[in-house]
Amino acid sequence: MSQDPLRYFRIEARELVDQISAGVLDLDQQPGTELVARLLRFAHTLKGAARVVRQQDIADRAHKFEEVLVPHRTDEGPLPADEMRELLRLNDEIEAYVARLEPAAAAAQAAAAATAVAPAEPPELRAESKPEPAPAPKPAPKPVAKKDEPVARATTTDVDDLLDAVGETHARFAPLRTGSTALDRLHRSAESLAYQLRVGRTPGQAEAARSAAVRLAGELGMLGRRLTDTVEQVERELDEVRGRAERLRLVAASSIFTALHRAVRDAADAQGKRIRFEGRGGDLRMDPQVLALANGALLHVVRNAVVHGIEDDEVRAAAGKPAEGHVVVEIQRRGRYAAFLCTDDGRGFDLAAVRRTAEARGLLMPGGTEPDQQTLVDLVLRGGISTSPTVTEVAGRGIGLDVARDVADQLGGDVGVRTEAGGGTTIELVLPLALLSLHGLVVEAAGTVATVPLDSVRTCVRLLPEQATAAAVTGKMAHDGEAVPFLPLARALYAGTTVPEGGGPGVAVIVEADGEAVAVGVDRLAGTSTLVLRPLPALAPAAAVIGGVSMDLDGNPRLVLDAQGLVAETARLGHGGAAPLEAARRLPILVVDDSLTTRMLERSILESAGYEVEVAASGEEGLEKARSRDFCLFLTDIDMPGIDGFTFVSETRADPELAGVPAILVSSRASAEDRARGAAAGASAYVVKGEFNQEELLAHIRRLVPS
Amino acid sequence: MSPTEVTDRLTELRADFDRSFAEPARRHDAEHAELLAVHAGGRPYALRLAQAAGVHSDRPVTPLPGPQPALLGVAGFSGAIVPVYDLAALLGHPVPERPRWLVLAAGSPPLALAFHELDGHVRVSAAVIVGEPDGHDGRDVLRGMVPLPGGTRPIVDLPAARAVVHRLTGHTQDVFEER
Repeated sequence: MSQDPLRYFRIEARELVDQISAGVLDLDQQPGTELVARLLRFAHTLKGAARVVRQQDIADRAHKFEEVLVPHRTDEGPLPADEMRELLRLNDEIEAYVARLEPAAAAAQAAAAATAVAPAEPPELRAESKPEPAPAPKPAPKPVAKKDEPVARATTTDVDDLLDAVGETHARFAPLRTGSTALDRLHRSAESLAYQLRVGRTPGQAEAARSAAVRLAGELGMLGRRLTDTVEQVERELDEVRGRAERLRLVAASSIFTALHRAVRDAADAQGKRIRFEGRGGDLRMDPQVLALANGALLHVVRNAVVHGIEDDEVRAAAGKPAEGHVVVEIQRRGRYAAFLCTDDGRGFDLAAVRRTAEARGLLMPGGTEPDQQTLVDLVLRGGISTSPTVTEVAGRGIGLDVARDVADQLGGDVGVRTEAGGGTTIELVLPLALLSLHGLVVEAAGTVATVPLDSVRTCVRLLPEQATAAAVTGKMAHDGEAVPFLPLARALYAGTTVPEGGGPGVAVIVEADGEAVAVGVDRLAGTSTLVLRPLPALAPAAAVIGGVSMDLDGNPRLVLDAQGLVAETARLGHGGAAPLEAARRLPILVVDDSLTTRMLERSILESAGYEVEVAASGEEGLEKARSRDFCLFLTDIDMPGIDGFTFVSETRADPELAGVPAILVSSRASAEDRARGAAAGASAYVVKGEFNQEELLAHIRRLVPS
Repeated sequence: MSPTEVTDRLTELRADFDRSFAEPARRHDAEHAELLAVHAGGRPYALRLAQAAGVHSDRPVTPLPGPQPALLGVAGFSGAIVPVYDLAALLGHPVPERPRWLVLAAGSPPLALAFHELDGHVRVSAAVIVGEPDGHDGRDVLRGMVPLPGGTRPIVDLPAARAVVHRLTGHTQDVFEER
């Protein structure tokens, strides 16, 4: 194994190819001599290295790549389109050759040839065993498919950080080593003391033994304290090592930008459009599997944006837009979710066309109530209706959104669309993160240890006891010339139960989310740590302030707070955490369902969330109750004997007294038709029982019933 | 213990030991049930060991603020994070005292139930268990009774307890697929 001549070349070539791929796309977007020089350097390095390990195919392409670029060394202008295409073609070929050097790919080839190829054999032999001898990889139709799988590839800095942490831990062991010498010495002292006690008879000897015992006790105490300190330090360092090592498993989100950029570039080229691609928020590190799935969906979404979103030059000129279209992929962390946003500045969805198609297919009643934008967008998302009259080979319309929706369904995420006629479209894919690496601020409140993600901490302020009291009483504290709501963390953590006696807040952590700041009162700060955020287990619903858990060194879960949740909780408690929770004077919710289990389940969910609930066991009873008193919301099943849910909704919509009360349909029917029927009847939301998720239901209710 | 007591005890143990050879070999078969005798919220119950994936004591449970009063928090079990529910609260008689024993319910998703005292492990003939195939309604987690020294104990059915937790948390499988 150690003689594998390609061992280092593989790593170097992979890095160079990554840099060349990104560089070529940058050059396409922002030509400049500096970039040309950098690309020449990469290509030259690759050529040299490839020759050393006798990878002539790679060396030849790198050489051709250089030949294309050399004339542009002093040329600030853009490269001619055909030369640009040639560079991309060579880039793809080099990439394909390099990919073949991977041990997995080589093994697959060997398996195909039914011969075991030892890794130490010269590379030429392996090339010969390939079923297709060095075909020039075609750039079309799927030039980026091989990039679909971002792999965890540790950056040098990450490894350096890990090594630093390991070194630091190692250093912390030194006192333990000297400690064992000290222990030996103390052991001997104790033996000699025992001897003295055995033989000593005179008062002088007894006195000597006594003072020896006192000395021994003192030294033992000191050693004990030193050991305790050392163990604590080593534990802290190991915690850090663990966090950094776990981080290596995760991938920077930016690793998908090159493939997306390339997809945009190729689609734009095929369409004769000029488009600038921009990737933002690439620092977020996440599970490679989630990233791979997101990447697969985003490839479709960005192609759609290019083909259907961005208009032709003339149309853009007429609309007063810059000739160059703009596609942005932005990645944001939202608590334990990652949001992938693809925004274009194109024409937006043609919602009128969607409505016409939906009506033609019977998904919407012609001449019925005016469907709102969300209803139409949902039809596009769920019903496979195209927003474009033509389907091209680059982007089969609807497919992009279907793929995004599939990925979201698969992972329990969500897809959203914001679109404005003539103003562009944003497709938002939100995926839960199984694992997410964070730097956290460890805090303690009333005996509980919790971690606040460091990226949401603006600053920390020490509180004097009288300041803490004032903040707790008024629910506010002054910070940076503004009044910031104050939430004692203990109150949020022990919601509904008695808060154990503690010292009270000694520090205010100013946490910021979505542009809003809250001061979170904690007893003390206990340092920072690198941790991996895990989602809460399935059967453990938690308050919004909890973003997830991490494991401490002993394998016990530790709470990780969620910045958005802290802001929301402060708002919910009103005037910071100080004012006692007032029972919200809200109208009750009417639950209509013929199943006792469902009625009781929904009742318990709604009551736990602070709503008052009335139940009805049939559509008839529901209508009767609905007319007898005021409700803030109707929650109804569809399949019931007698009056069914659709009828219940349309009847209440038809009644001017009840039409203003929003209605949510809950059903085991999941088809797009039923959803459309529900929407047509006038339901404000549709929750499928198979996907039933109390958070989703409560989110709908919170949206429809402002507190 | 006085020397006579020790001698008596020794004789007794010897006799037991000898007798164990005289008896036919016991078989672990369907005719017997392995039970844990426990106390939850001050009341005696029995659990079927076959429905459990493990029993642990004094595991640190991290409290989790949230909508479920019966949810004590989460605990770590060899890298997995497991929700811990108070058995007494699920049975409708919670006490303020925090239980110190955990039983991991078999099945998925992971779930642990906490009880206050472990009275012992018993093996009884299946014939003595008073059958009760279904509870009184969907919420009932007690299925059957077993006479044990000190009195008859209701048997807590762990799958039924799991179903209750699934319902409480709106967990989909089992809850809505019944219909």
